[in-house]
Amino acid sequence: MTTVVEVKGLSKHYGRFTAVDDATFSIEENRVYGLLGRNGAGKTTIMNLLTAQAFASSGSIRVFGESPVENANVLDRICFIKESQTYPEEFKPKHVFASAPWFFPNWDAEFADRLVADFRLPLNRRIKKLSRGQLSAVGVIVGLASRAPLTFFDEPYLGLDAVARQIFYDRLLEDVGEHPRTVILSTHLIDEVSKLLEHVILIDEGRIIVDEEADELRGSETTVSGTSAAVDAFIAGREVLSRTGLGGLASVTVGRLDAAGRAAAAAAGLELSTVSLQQLIVRKTNVSEKEFEQSK
Amino acid sequence: MTAIAIPIQTNQTAPRRVLSVTRLHFVNKWQILYLPLLILAFIFLLDLAIWWLILTAQSSTHDRHSAEKGLNFTGSIFYIYVYVLIIAIQAVSRTFPFALGFGVTRRNYYLGTSAAFVGLGVVFSAILTAGSVIENATGGWGIGGHFFTTAYFHDGSWGLRFVIFLLLFLFAMFFGSAAASVFVRWKATGLTVFFGALALLLLGGGALITLNNGWLGFWGWFGEAGSLGVALWSLVPTAVAAIAGYFILQRATPKS
Repeated sequence: MTTVVEVKGLSKHYGRFTAVDDATFSIEENRVYGLLGRNGAGKTTIMNLLTAQAFASSGSIRVFGESPVENANVLDRICFIKESQTYPEEFKPKHVFASAPWFFPNWDAEFADRLVADFRLPLNRRIKKLSRGQLSAVGVIVGLASRAPLTFFDEPYLGLDAVARQIFYDRLLEDVGEHPRTVILSTHLIDEVSKLLEHVILIDEGRIIVDEEADELRGSETTVSGTSAAVDAFIAGREVLSRTGLGGLASVTVGRLDAAGRAAAAAAGLELSTVSLQQLIVRKTNVSEKEFEQSK
Repeated sequence: MTAIAIPIQTNQTAPRRVLSVTRLHFVNKWQILYLPLLILAFIFLLDLAIWWLILTAQSSTHDRHSAEKGLNFTGSIFYIYVYVLIIAIQAVSRTFPFALGFGVTRRNYYLGTSAAFVGLGVVFSAILTAGSVIENATGGWGIGGHFFTTAYFHDGSWGLRFVIFLLLFLFAMFFGSAAASVFVRWKATGLTVFFGALALLLLGGGALITLNNGWLGFWGWFGEAGSLGVALWSLVPTAVAAIAGYFILQRATPKS
């Protein structure tokens, strides 16, 4: 497996504020990554650093084996779509799609046309006059049709309705299947993209707190529910991550269950359910906050 | 499903990358070419109408003659320089963040943008020069009007006029792009400081001349240098702006 991005000890300070704090991770070729975290956690800053839009305070970044800063060989293979993308004054979507092929050697105009139809994007309307969702569609279409070997989507769906978001997820999944490439998606609609993500990097207050395969992560917690007595008996000696109860019923989240654990739960008449990626992320983020408070 | 790997090596060369940025500025031709020319044509027609009204209102030949003298200075052409200045500001402040999202390096962005400015300057200068040649040939459109031939340099070969038009365009564009670079890099605060510093610099220069009783010499220099000389000297601030703009953008981060 080839590593396309390698980040070591990366930090970015804005004055006294630390946006990214000693981050170390790598990105493997031809996979879909989720860069998750709360607002202001540092997701956009990391993307800005990897695409050389911002400059690192310390640490090293290697993209396709080289520093991306002012490196045309690297940047040629990158497409960065951000929620807040500025467009040239008086541009219309047709101008964006007309110029995109000059910058993206893999641009597929036919695919772009199909996406325009899918998203019902008016090509000849000034970008200023587009709705928020249509504006997002322009970015999404560029991100998909550019087929850049390394594509960044920074919260690309703002204002897109549920149908349009589903179109985006479906087309992305299909197209990376046919034309494998590396995609880094930052989002807080975690459950929606859960199926798409192969690897998850969770960032909180500038620090990377989870860097794991999505499948691993999904199985790492299980919710056990049943009568309080049965649940209490089952969790004895196990680490409890969270607990809710109602009358004589209880629902407890525990860590990874092995086969024996599952069998024991079944025998005790308990119901097992997997914890959604979103719930998991929410809990991990909260935990890190608590630890952070304690360390102060 | 067969997996088609994406080729890693691209056939992009440095000149092609620069040219792509230049083309990007011209993709919306309406905004950068047709609209300013259309407005220029409109102003020209307005001026023609005003000249005609003024001249027909004069009863005696003597009045007509003195009115014709007044037509020597319209300054309407100044509009296109202001438009070009605004184009340059918008180009850098809005196209820079866009181009970077398309994976363009700051260096290639700047080179491509500068080429676009020079290209646009050449096109506009050629049009103004052609206008001025016709204006001379037709005796000021038949009524002694001066639109393309301003008082300062209406005698002189068409080549000379072209160079002067172009040098002034280059000044407007690179000054605009330098100011926009300051904005892109340091936002409104930077722009305030920039114009504050510029005002201080001009005031300082003015004070220096005044204290040395140098105004006579200063205006005399304008006369001596001639229109071409002055235009050539504009290359100094143009070059300073162009070089400063390059280095300012080198470390700029497009902000949302």
